[in-house]
Amino acid sequence: MSGVRRFLSENSLSLGFGLLFVVTLAGQAVAGAAQLSEERQDEGLGPVSLGHYLTSSSFAVDVMENWQSEYLQFSLYVFATVWLVQRGSPASKELEAVGTESDEEQRVGAHARADSPRWAGAGGWRTAVFSRSLGLVFGALFLLTWAATSVAGWAAYNVDQLRSHADPVSWVGYLGRPDFWDRTFQNWQSEMLAVGSMAVFAVYLRQRGSPESKPVGAAHPDTGATG
Amino acid sequence: MRTTSAWLTAGVLLVSGCSDVHLPDVEQAARDFAAGDADARCALLTDAAFQAVQHEEPAGCPVALEDLPLGTGEVESAQVWDSEAQVRLADDTLFLTRTPGGWEVAAAGCRPCGDGRYDCLVEGS
Repeated sequence: MSGVRRFLSENSLSLGFGLLFVVTLAGQAVAGAAQLSEERQDEGLGPVSLGHYLTSSSFAVDVMENWQSEYLQFSLYVFATVWLVQRGSPASKELEAVGTESDEEQRVGAHARADSPRWAGAGGWRTAVFSRSLGLVFGALFLLTWAATSVAGWAAYNVDQLRSHADPVSWVGYLGRPDFWDRTFQNWQSEMLAVGSMAVFAVYLRQRGSPESKPVGAAHPDTGATG
Repeated sequence: MRTTSAWLTAGVLLVSGCSDVHLPDVEQAARDFAAGDADARCALLTDAAFQAVQHEEPAGCPVALEDLPLGTGEVESAQVWDSEAQVRLADDTLFLTRTPGGWEVAAAGCRPCGDGRYDCLVEGS
């Protein structure tokens, strides 16, 4: 197997989803520009170009409000599954392993192995930070994209205000408007539903070969097994 | 704090279509509208606003605008959000929108009517 082919094969999950991300984002951009053009033509105004739409508040808020909820989902999932378990779910760890577990089980400090990441064995703040780095990065990305949602949503809201011949509002004023919280909660609720569904469905249903599923023949009460 | 403000400003400029770039054009369109005669003002209206005026006054847009107390004052302030703008004249408030032909007046003769909203003498339906 050539080097390139091996690289593609060994990284097909991230590359595949990276490609799907680009294709679907492009699809959203084209469809969104067409929709905005239709709205403007209904009002007797001209269509918008793709370039104009890509720098518009409308596109920015539609993208950011989805990103923030996805990062919230994963940060909550990473943090919550330390403490919350689900009997029979491959998304859960074993019921008796609730909590941050021992240094030995986590291979940190003196229990780090030769091939462990350097900060796992470094001790002190470096091990403390590295031990939480997945949740921290997802949490930081959530906060950043939520803040971006508030800014983009503010701009889009003010566009609507001006279109209906009303004063624009301040950013702080926008945070108190139903529009911001409607955008926020409508995305959050769907993420909670998806995680909850996955935790429960995977107790009783199987997907042969998927690490998100238990082995097909695993018993329903088996927890933490992946197939 | 300064860095946060800079990022916030950059973000707002990006998602509002680099508003400051359009400010001179918006203010110029508002000045032209305020200083223009009825014909010039009619030419600066959006299609929707023009049609609404024509609908109200069969004699035509210029005749209709002659009778309306629209502002003639200086531009005091302007805000641009994406392809929409609000300009406060000394004696009026205008709402403008960006069209393929440039910035046009979507509403004029606007007076506050509470809760940040305006009643406008000229506006599209």
